[in-house]
Amino acid sequence: MVKLRARCLVVGDAAVGKTALSQMFRSDGAHFQKNYSMTAGVELVVKSVSIPETSDSVELYIFDSAGKETFVEPCTKVWGQPSVLCLVFDLSTEPSFRSCGRWLERVRAHSQGLHIPGVLVGNKSDLSSRREVETSVAQEWAQSQGLEYHETSAKDMENCEAPFLTLAQAFHALYQDRLQTIQNLA
Amino acid sequence: MIDPALSSLGARVVLATSSDEIYPPENIIDGNTETFWISTGMFPQEFIICFAESMKISRLTMHCYNVKTFKLEKSISDDATDFEPISENELEHMEGHLQTSDIPLNEMNATHLRFIITSGHDHFISVHRISVER
Ligand SMILES: Nc1nc2c(ncn2[C@@H]2O[C@H](COP(=O)(O)OP(=O)(O)OP(=O)(O)O)[C@@H](O)[C@H]2O)c(=O)[nH]1
Ligand SMILES: [Mg+2]
Repeated sequence: MVKLRARCLVVGDAAVGKTALSQMFRSDGAHFQKNYSMTAGVELVVKSVSIPETSDSVELYIFDSAGKETFVEPCTKVWGQPSVLCLVFDLSTEPSFRSCGRWLERVRAHSQGLHIPGVLVGNKSDLSSRREVETSVAQEWAQSQGLEYHETSAKDMENCEAPFLTLAQAFHALYQDRLQTIQNLA
Repeated sequence: MIDPALSSLGARVVLATSSDEIYPPENIIDGNTETFWISTGMFPQEFIICFAESMKISRLTMHCYNVKTFKLEKSISDDATDFEPISENELEHMEGHLQTSDIPLNEMNATHLRFIITSGHDHFISVHRISVER
């Protein structure tokens, strides 16, 4: 039985729902904030995830980071050495999808060559009539970047756990893999 | 004189910030590079070695994997307080080989040594053996 710890960055444009998603995950769906309250720095959410079919768990230290450009630079100072990445856009706002490449570059520039398991999240799936990004398009881009794709609605509590579970599992798999390497050294 | 195992001299690990039961921190001081302690995610990582009594140390050697930067501190108190910095070290990554860090300590006295690993070449680091020359 092992308890891993992962530093999980949540990034993406302003108002795409990063805080909503993080809070829904933390509270198991009890807290959806309808009114937009902009994140000006980094908000920390800590939650433990059990890895299915093992007695292991991953404690996620979720760094819910500001999306507004003026706050980004100071945020990167507290990112530290990230373990996993949750990149969020708004399915009803095409520009927020187009920004994803830039966010990814930023995080990669910050990770000093380390491989960071990541997910791409298309949030606000409840706004189906206002959808501007097709699933297949997002999926394809995610795949090209080595990210796993999820669609969520923080508002309807739809699928909010899945991205974090995926990240926890990816980090757990990375641990198993590295452990193997280290065992083989000796 | 090189000690085969610090644990046989009564040294203990009194704190470690990570624990996988299968790879306990005691593996650091058992004199064997095949057994190890592994970190379980995030930096910094820290562990403290406590000696049975104050030791005079002329050199310290650490065998490890994936460590990038670490700080070494010592205490001469009985209760693991008042640590003073000794050195800050940077290690190259060696794919498939253990890293060796040799730190000359010039007959320094210590009751406790604290290792703070501030960054890694990967998400997880391991420490296989720490030995001292007296
Ligand atoms: N319809 C709908 N609205 C959502 C959803 N998720 C979040 N919102 C709303 O979108 C607005 C922005 O959400 P936040 O979570 O604050 O966005 P953010 O990404 O944290 O924004 P910054 O902190 O500025 O970077 C709020 O009014 C939320 O109520 C969703 O799934 N569906
Ligand atoms: Mg926010």
